[in-house]
Amino acid sequence: MANVLGLAMGGPTVIAHGTDAQKERHLAPILSAEEIWCQGFSEPDSGSDLASLKTRAVRDGDEWVVTGQKVWTTMAHQSKWCMLIARTDPEAPKHRGLTYFLMDMEQDAVEVRPLVQITGEAEFNELFIEEARIPHANIVGGENNGWPVAITTLMHERAGLAFALQVQVQIALRELMAEVRERGQAEDPIVRDRLGQLYIEAQVLRLNAFRGLTATMKRGAPGPEGSLGKWHWAEVNQALTELAMDVAGPHAQLVDQTWTYRFLRARANSIEGGTTEILKNIVAERVLGLPRG
Amino acid sequence: MNFDLSEDQHTIKRTAREFLASRYKPEEVRRLALEDERGWTDAQWAEMAELGWPQLVHPEHGLGTVELVVVAEELGYALAPTPLQSTWMAGLALAAGGQSARLEGRRGALAVWPGDAPGEWIAVPDAGTADVLVLRDPGGGASVTEDFSVEPAPGIDPTRRLFTVRASGGEPLEGDLSRAWDQILVMSAAESVGVGERAMHMAVAYAKERKQFGRAIGSFQAVSHPCAQMLLEVEGARSAVYWAAWALDFEPETGPLAAACAKAYASDAGARVTRSAMQVHGGIAFTWEHDLHFLLKRAEANAHALGEARSLRARVAALTL
Repeated sequence: MANVLGLAMGGPTVIAHGTDAQKERHLAPILSAEEIWCQGFSEPDSGSDLASLKTRAVRDGDEWVVTGQKVWTTMAHQSKWCMLIARTDPEAPKHRGLTYFLMDMEQDAVEVRPLVQITGEAEFNELFIEEARIPHANIVGGENNGWPVAITTLMHERAGLAFALQVQVQIALRELMAEVRERGQAEDPIVRDRLGQLYIEAQVLRLNAFRGLTATMKRGAPGPEGSLGKWHWAEVNQALTELAMDVAGPHAQLVDQTWTYRFLRARANSIEGGTTEILKNIVAERVLGLPRG
Repeated sequence: MNFDLSEDQHTIKRTAREFLASRYKPEEVRRLALEDERGWTDAQWAEMAELGWPQLVHPEHGLGTVELVVVAEELGYALAPTPLQSTWMAGLALAAGGQSARLEGRRGALAVWPGDAPGEWIAVPDAGTADVLVLRDPGGGASVTEDFSVEPAPGIDPTRRLFTVRASGGEPLEGDLSRAWDQILVMSAAESVGVGERAMHMAVAYAKERKQFGRAIGSFQAVSHPCAQMLLEVEGARSAVYWAAWALDFEPETGPLAAACAKAYASDAGARVTRSAMQVHGGIAFTWEHDLHFLLKRAEANAHALGEARSLRARVAALTL
């Protein structure tokens, strides 16, 4: 799954908004993983308020010249293509002056620096972009029309990844059950109650993901309710790793490659790919129809 | 792969919702709950009988568990005060015991919780108007009797009448009743899904219209996020309920686990969603004249009927750990 961003997000976005030439050029190398993709959305000052981003793109003949900084860019050091959102009309209201580009990462104007996270590893990167060049033909969805294209990418991220991640939860839950038995805690009523609840939540996560997939197949694209799955997954995965820490007892103080690592890594679950708070806003406004704050 | 109701099931759902909405308007539910001596009318029962609803669990003209659950959910959404679900519960147990004929054209009730005295059962819904009573014993078996006495036992939920029942035993039901008990659990869970969905709809509508500080309260995240949480729990409970209903008919080896998951999750969801809906409404929903308390009381009563979330989670752990 090295090309997870290309498969789950880049490909679907090109299919939904790309030109025929873009589909012809990009879809096959995404499927074969010959070209890895990354996502240049977040910036140091633009996290949840993504549309406030400052990376600038200025037209120069048949090309655009891009300068700015991106952060939390998974796979950037291995990527050929970056789904990049940049500001192309600074005078327009913030959602209307953005354009969605496919940026070739193989140029000197793009510097990739690893970002060390609380687990000690570096899954993510920072991108420093200094007058990078992107052909005009690499715009997806039209000039100054980047916001709806970005939303397509994010909907696919939340629906698609939540689907894959719920499978990981099922696996982790089985591993945790084995751990509980090994540590002689299988008869502890509190552990049993928490495990019972986790089992139920993991089933609900799985069933909701299948219902979401059915809805996507009928409608052709994932809807805002995919946000629900991603938010729920974060809660369940965090609860699972928290129980694992309690089961480990004093061993939970020690660095290892399974539970203490997973516990620390899971802290990001409710932040990455849209914070739980932003996902609740999306559900409240776009599914329930509540007024914007 | 299709994780949605079929066209026929959607039609059943829509028809049930429309029918129940027209017969059980909020003022009628209130009148039945607070003023009608029995809590339902002969005309209402006759109309349901005409639709064939009491017979839905009969093995010969019965529908599948999924279809049953579709209607149970809508009965919860309408908060319809009716002895229909009690009749179904008795009917499911009698069908499993090969005794369906005893209920033909009559009403039933199911007694689950033995009281302190021998031969006494507490909190039995609709026993006062039942012709046939199924007594579940703690070991999982059951007997059926028509010879029993009842005494009203006021419950927290006025839309469903409870009774203390005294019976000196009955005729044992033969056969394996475990699937019937699981169908009953899932039916109750489905009702809680409907109750929760109704409370959520009321809360969301109120949050759009109620203004404080010059704006709709639903524009405040302190209000909108609990509403989003309601959707998560209602939809999650619905997924678990339909999974369990499907499993009981098509993947029986998964039935006991899925039924426990569904009732545990839906019990908690129904109780939490209705409590949260009351908080979103604020003071108005704490008044007797507002309808939300009927939903809250039904959800709370359901969470404590038939099997509580805690004991069902223990069953999930026993089946999986």
